[in-house]
Amino acid sequence: MIHWIRKLGQKFALLTALAIVGALLCATMIRFAPGYGMDERELNPGLSQVSRDAIRSEYGTGESLISYYDHYLRSLLHGDLGTSVFLRRPVTELLKERAPLTAKTVSLGLLTAWIAASGLALLTIRFPSWILGHSATTLTGLLIALPTAVIALVFVLLRAPVFLGIAVVTFPKLFRYQQNLLAQAHAQPFVFAAQARGLTRNRILFRHVVPSVWPMLVALLGVSSSMAFGAAIPLEALSDSSGVGQLAWQAALNRDLPLLTSITLFVTLVTVGVNFVADATQERRL
Amino acid sequence: MTQRVFRTICCGILGTVFVVGLFAQGFTHYPYALQFREFPNAAPSSMHLLGTDGLGRDFFARVIYGTRVSLLLAPAAALLATAIAAVLGGVAGLRGGWLETLILATADLSMSLPLLFVLIALRAFLPLDVSPVLSVVATFVTLGLLGWPSSLRLVCAASRNLRQSDHLLLARATGYSNSQMLFRQVIPHLRPIFLAQFWISIPLFILTEATLSMLGLGVMEPLPSWGNLLRGSEDFSAMSANPWRLVPLFLLVLTVICFQFVLPSSEELT
Repeated sequence: MIHWIRKLGQKFALLTALAIVGALLCATMIRFAPGYGMDERELNPGLSQVSRDAIRSEYGTGESLISYYDHYLRSLLHGDLGTSVFLRRPVTELLKERAPLTAKTVSLGLLTAWIAASGLALLTIRFPSWILGHSATTLTGLLIALPTAVIALVFVLLRAPVFLGIAVVTFPKLFRYQQNLLAQAHAQPFVFAAQARGLTRNRILFRHVVPSVWPMLVALLGVSSSMAFGAAIPLEALSDSSGVGQLAWQAALNRDLPLLTSITLFVTLVTVGVNFVADATQERRL
Repeated sequence: MTQRVFRTICCGILGTVFVVGLFAQGFTHYPYALQFREFPNAAPSSMHLLGTDGLGRDFFARVIYGTRVSLLLAPAAALLATAIAAVLGGVAGLRGGWLETLILATADLSMSLPLLFVLIALRAFLPLDVSPVLSVVATFVTLGLLGWPSSLRLVCAASRNLRQSDHLLLARATGYSNSQMLFRQVIPHLRPIFLAQFWISIPLFILTEATLSMLGLGVMEPLPSWGNLLRGSEDFSAMSANPWRLVPLFLLVLTVICFQFVLPSSEELT
């Protein structure tokens, strides 16, 4: 128990360090990006020098790098992620507005993908047959070969919900990984021993094989969340769904760096946090 | 037997597509950006095998040159990612201790990052007036720089096993330095793993480039790639009227499926 708490503490310290390093990296990227501190409002010939200076001071171009970092981190601690250049609104407000929709679609998509992938993987192991195995491999092979943006377009055409798109993108990878894990575990000597003792196929699969691969499946939960967030960008962008993915795409197209880096930092912390919880659960079980 | 036949067929298809991309000039006499302004959106004909696009450019020429961009630069990005994984994984496995913990923790963290978010964030830092060639290079270098973590774990585990091997102990006893051990003993020994990781990364990078380009964040016009050739696909009525515009998608899917058959299975890798 003490060992587990110590491990948890180490991971939490790592997460905090990542947040600080990530924030500093974002600040550096914004500060040194081409065009930093330039505002098209300055082109207005009607503005006085005082107004121009006021615009420049908004960006803090005159301050030193250390005080720039200090200012950025202090603002971040107070929940101020800056203002979007493109939408002219506070980034925190935009994230508050859009994050719930993305959280909902990603969660629903992941849930659907996990149910489908686990179900199909268990079916192929429980009822091994040439047709089932090859159909599952062909289906997942075809889905893996399609770019996410093409899947998004098909979903726009079918007017299907975005979460199903996320499920379709993550399902084949989840299925392949789970099927490999289950097949490897099913070929272990303890399965043959259990068969020799006369245990039923269901009992062997659900009481012995699945529990043996459980820790790896929990670890997969963390990885699948970053896959699902990645899939949210093209799906939300092309389906015109007003989530964080669409916001990131708009920010990238309009070179809205404060917005884009804040979104990336936010999504990264969410996915790393999910991985952290998955790791902690896995280690607790082990 | 069937698997072998499939692999041979897929190798043939991949080889053909690679050759066509590499020697694009030999298969079409039109440059990819040449406009036939009097024939915009033309249907396939003997003059334009796949018709022309909205700007009157020969679509067949654009597909062929797009094949070159997608299929030749994805291996370059895969090579970069594999090289980073080889050096970092080799050092981590060979040295062990805190360095291994640090490198593995970095790889774990990088793997948990949503790749597409980081990619578009890095891509957006390029100036707006970037040239098409620079956009291609930037896209694939970014892919290569972000694609190493998954390969690193495998390389690290293999070089860790190698650390206690007799021939490495002998090399250490004969006075090899750490860098000599890495480049003369560990990396040549792990060549099959690097090769497998290299092949695995290629389809992944082709697909990521396609998605980025379809979103307008990858390869810039007028340079073609499979991804940016599919950019107009959201206009479903135009697509159903001109189904030959889906040729880049067909080629992309075919190539990735062929890679799946050619790649070693997980059992073969272990």
